[in-house]
Amino acid sequence: MSHDHDHDHDHDHGHGHGHDHGHDDHHRPRPVSAIELRTQALEALLVAKGLVSTDAVDAVIDYYATDVGPQNGARVIARAWSDPAYRRRLFADGSRAIAELGFGGEEGHTMVACENTPSVHNVIVCTLCSCYPWPVLGLPPSWYKSLPYRARVVTEPRAVLSEFGLELADDVEIRVWDSTAEVRYLVVPMRPAGTEAMDEDALATLVTRDSMIGTGRALAPAAT
Amino acid sequence: MTDALVEALAAEIPRVNGEPVFAEPWQARALGMGVVTLRALDVGVVEWRDALAAAIARHPFDAAEPAATAYYTAWVAALEGVVASRDAA
Repeated sequence: MSHDHDHDHDHDHGHGHGHDHGHDDHHRPRPVSAIELRTQALEALLVAKGLVSTDAVDAVIDYYATDVGPQNGARVIARAWSDPAYRRRLFADGSRAIAELGFGGEEGHTMVACENTPSVHNVIVCTLCSCYPWPVLGLPPSWYKSLPYRARVVTEPRAVLSEFGLELADDVEIRVWDSTAEVRYLVVPMRPAGTEAMDEDALATLVTRDSMIGTGRALAPAAT
Repeated sequence: MTDALVEALAAEIPRVNGEPVFAEPWQARALGMGVVTLRALDVGVVEWRDALAAAIARHPFDAAEPAATAYYTAWVAALEGVVASRDAA
């Protein structure tokens, strides 16, 4: 995070650059590291060549920083809606079934799929921090990490879901799944009515991030 | 902006609990300019991955260095190499 060589002529860092100090930088509170200068020079070069614009770079950074997107999860759900055998595998061993589609990886951990039915609605949370099934859902929305959501979805889930615009009948059981470092949950929403003729690609467009967290439903197909 | 390149790179950058980790702001700029440049030069994921893997292999291991710093230092080196290789055109 910080480079602690504030002092001039500190040769303990083994940079191997002899006397190649940035002479203008000696009095800055945070010295600019060699790699930082190199990165700035590269960006300047790329801009000069017309390969990048600062705005385009900003847009990409913003994209990675805010939303990688739940498209992987949507593909898992669409497959589960379309293929009964896949659906069984998904509930039997979520990690393995999700890996079949090429998703997972180091931080995927154990994935457990939770099935929504007419009588059971599932919702996920991480009460301790912000554990999240990111290989399938991308980056967590900010509210997922907020203290009010983490606390209230456990104590009064029906009220919280209502605030998301999800009204559940009183006889629907709500199951709240608390994610951990080891186990991450993925809600499998119910397939919307009127989608019988849709293929997987079309179905995937109906699967929202919130429907896989459990704070929403899958979208109804657009009336045509 | 969800194209194959962005998705492929998104799966591989340093993360903690799903969130991309940048030890210093220049690392986010390196990521951003890398994606834009790879697209502009039409560099494919496979070529980029090879270049990045080679740069990571060349980067000296230092246990005290944050993983993100090591990764993006190699990233910058790989990007320099890819740009230089296209410079003849």
